[in-house]
Amino acid sequence: MALRALALAAFLAIGFALSLSVSEYSLRLLNLAAISATAVIGLNFAFGYAGLISLGHSAFMGLGAYILAILTTQAGWSPWLAALPAILGTGLAAILIGVPLLRLKGHYLALATLGLNVSFGIVAANWIEVTGGTNGISKIPGVSVLGHSLEGERPFLWLALVVIAVLAVAASLIQRSRYGRAMMAVRDDETAAAMTGINVTATKVAAFALSAVYAAVAGCLFAAHVHFISPDDFNFAHSITFLSMLIVGGEGTIAGAIIGAVLLTFLPEWLRVLGESYLAFFGLMMLAILIFMPTGIVGLLSRLRRPARSEAPAALVAPGEGARP
Amino acid sequence: MTILRAQGISKRYGGLLALSEVDVTVEDNEFVALIGPNGAGKSTLLNVLTGLASPTTGTIELAGQPVTKASTHARIRAGLGRTFQHGRLFDRLSVLENVMVGAANRPGRSEAQLEAAARESLARMGLAHLAPLPVSSLTYGNRRMVELTRALAGGPRVLLLDEPAAGLNSGEVEDLMARLRAIRAEHRLAVVLIEHNMGMVMRLAERIAVLNFGRKIAEGTPAAIQTDPAVLEAYLGSGSSYAAR
Repeated sequence: MALRALALAAFLAIGFALSLSVSEYSLRLLNLAAISATAVIGLNFAFGYAGLISLGHSAFMGLGAYILAILTTQAGWSPWLAALPAILGTGLAAILIGVPLLRLKGHYLALATLGLNVSFGIVAANWIEVTGGTNGISKIPGVSVLGHSLEGERPFLWLALVVIAVLAVAASLIQRSRYGRAMMAVRDDETAAAMTGINVTATKVAAFALSAVYAAVAGCLFAAHVHFISPDDFNFAHSITFLSMLIVGGEGTIAGAIIGAVLLTFLPEWLRVLGESYLAFFGLMMLAILIFMPTGIVGLLSRLRRPARSEAPAALVAPGEGARP
Repeated sequence: MTILRAQGISKRYGGLLALSEVDVTVEDNEFVALIGPNGAGKSTLLNVLTGLASPTTGTIELAGQPVTKASTHARIRAGLGRTFQHGRLFDRLSVLENVMVGAANRPGRSEAQLEAAARESLARMGLAHLAPLPVSSLTYGNRRMVELTRALAGGPRVLLLDEPAAGLNSGEVEDLMARLRAIRAEHRLAVVLIEHNMGMVMRLAERIAVLNFGRKIAEGTPAAIQTDPAVLEAYLGSGSSYAAR
């Protein structure tokens, strides 16, 4: 518990220090990383805990962003007010879609969610009177707090840091509750989970809907930050990026979701020298990570910590991440 | 009172009749063993009772309530518990968390109460020292004991055990038998045991039902079953066919 509070404080301190010290351009990247991190912490519920491979996460981010954009630009709502139906509506949509979709498993589910993402893009691009088609929706108002506008990269990053902190704490509480354990039990062994009284279908739908709610928050942040959205912002390539972020950082962990989101947002910038060959490098890097560190960066860090403990008798070894009550 | 009653259970897989008109009743607090040669339909019967497979015909009642169409988790919440033939734990959770998942079957408990209940269940089974360990570090015997503890933590009124002694060494089997006796002394709990270890069955069971080729061919006390001609034929083959080989 103390360790998690420390991690949260460190996260906020580092984020705040960066917000005061880095360039305007890096601030913009940090904001994009923060928006991705919000979505990836959510994806962790579906993929990291419940083991549901979703390649449609970006569609839920898009749904949240479009609802907010439509309500603010066409109905004149404040972004704060519009965020509520955007987030709840996306969660509801995920429940309605999840009930039939989550009968599928493994790569069938992956393909079905990919199809969902593609369908979302087609609807967004062709329902022109509502979504503006491929021209998208522009002039989405930014947010302000107590009369202070959060325009500009720096104040927006402060808002994003607070949002991530709140959502990370919520995710951590859920992970360590009976609901989080039920999700992990379903991932590990569905039959055995049912045999302990867990409603497997309801647990999967809940994990899927929770992940969509986080994606919708990310969509709202994105719309309010960029002020403009179009179908391309939410195509399936982004869903694959979110999944990559989670795997690189370390699936099943909140810290991994954040680390992966920041790393994969900045990596293309750091490797700009590679030019066109960046994608080849990225592909090889993903391969190497999947083969040599399947538990991601966070998994690697905790493996590096372990040798120091191995001197203790087996029964006294401090529990691993999953074992802490 | 009858806690579990299955009547006229048949289960057909394509052309194979895995179970044919099987009746099983279990009284409250009773210890029933279900034996039979490999392929007799014992595990299929457990799957039907727990809702993993739906019967082609027949009805199932749990504590007087019909559950023939109920989902697995609804049956577990209504008082059923089960362990699996090879022990199925949640590998990414610790021993304590595995048992907490089982304890969450009883509603209205806070997280602290869940943890306390799980620790108490582990202590009763003599496994308190394993609580913080990842289940991947357990021996095979301990995995199966943790699975049993998880099932017990859910507070079942009928516990179905699918070959709990398979793969255990003789010391572990003795320990398991002592634990099962202690469990029955502490909890009001009926047990249905599927087991190939006849010594264990004969020493623990109050009543034995024998399945062969999907049919119940005998039922009675251990002493009666040991001398039942139909049972002897099922296990040893009839005199004539035995001689003909």
